[in-house]
Amino acid sequence: MGKMVGGFLVPHDPVMFVVPDAPPADVAKRMWGAYTTCAERLAELDATSAIIVGADHYFNFGTGCLPQYLIGTGDVDGPLDVLPGLKRQIMPTSEKLANFIAEHGYENGFDWAVARAFTVDHAVAIPDRLIVEPVRAKGQSIGTIPVYVAAGVDPFLKMKRAVQLGAEIRAAVEASPDDERVVVIGSGGISHWVGTPEMGKVNEAFDREIMDYACRGDLAGIGALSDDYILENGGNGAMEIRQWAVAMATMPGARGEIIDYAPVKEWVTGLGFVQMFA
Amino acid sequence: MSRNVLEKLMHQLCVDRAVKQRFKEDLEGLLSRYALSEDEKAMVRNFDVAAMQKHGVNAMLTLGFWSENAPNRHPSAYMKALRGSSGQGEVFSAALKHS
Repeated sequence: MGKMVGGFLVPHDPVMFVVPDAPPADVAKRMWGAYTTCAERLAELDATSAIIVGADHYFNFGTGCLPQYLIGTGDVDGPLDVLPGLKRQIMPTSEKLANFIAEHGYENGFDWAVARAFTVDHAVAIPDRLIVEPVRAKGQSIGTIPVYVAAGVDPFLKMKRAVQLGAEIRAAVEASPDDERVVVIGSGGISHWVGTPEMGKVNEAFDREIMDYACRGDLAGIGALSDDYILENGGNGAMEIRQWAVAMATMPGARGEIIDYAPVKEWVTGLGFVQMFA
Repeated sequence: MSRNVLEKLMHQLCVDRAVKQRFKEDLEGLLSRYALSEDEKAMVRNFDVAAMQKHGVNAMLTLGFWSENAPNRHPSAYMKALRGSSGQGEVFSAALKHS
């Protein structure tokens, strides 16, 4: 049977790749270094699969189909939106576990949309490349399973449903027949305004509130946040805390530890890195 | 008026190379293929991203539309168009998609 062995909550800021030198050098170094710390800590968990929870940015899905939640059950590559230093490549997967999670969902009230050959965008590609890939490079075999939730394009996944989805993922992992050691990475946020007149604004108070939920393992707290509150205080980009909620719900009660945080206006985002301990 | 068709066109102008090319070469022909109101067509012709957002178009799409198709794709030009000539505030070098 499978087991959740740990998790990380991290940003996926493409602007870091477009203008890496825009912030003060010490801040930029810390933020890139935070990904390295996540990779080092991932290596200690002896994981076999990494479920990376991201959100579409109106790249992957168009007006013709907007899934509430989707899982990549087959071949995966990415990113769709290539960036300087982030070219498209094939990603190792855990197809058997991904398909089991989908099937388990169908039996338990979660009608997953599936992507059987999926080109992910930067939401999954950035944490895969910066956190998982360095561990693979050291010889560990870790398959990535992409999960996408509706956080960038309405209708948005309800926060309470995000929490339920995380619990379902955990139940599926624990019911899986193989001895998988699974890490979850919630990829997104924290405060950022994307494409709106407020773009460039960062709300550190909101960011610390969200990280505090993660550190205390307060699923009820984060799950109770209204969309109006999130949009007002964290911007349209902060709707991505759904990914954090899904990840937190795979390890209910798990405490978190802040690896690093900085409000980086030059990268238009409050960048928070949290490790969750199973 | 419906934002849905406008969002469909905006999405294609972000991700579909052929649609982007026709936007450059035959804008009116392209617009005739979509059930857009005259006001919506004007928003597209004029890169009026502020009006689009007031109309309900997703801000990621207005940013992507501008970054992929505007004559001046610099983020500062986008923010000026969004905030208006009297708009205040800092402009950062944000771009979800680099050109």
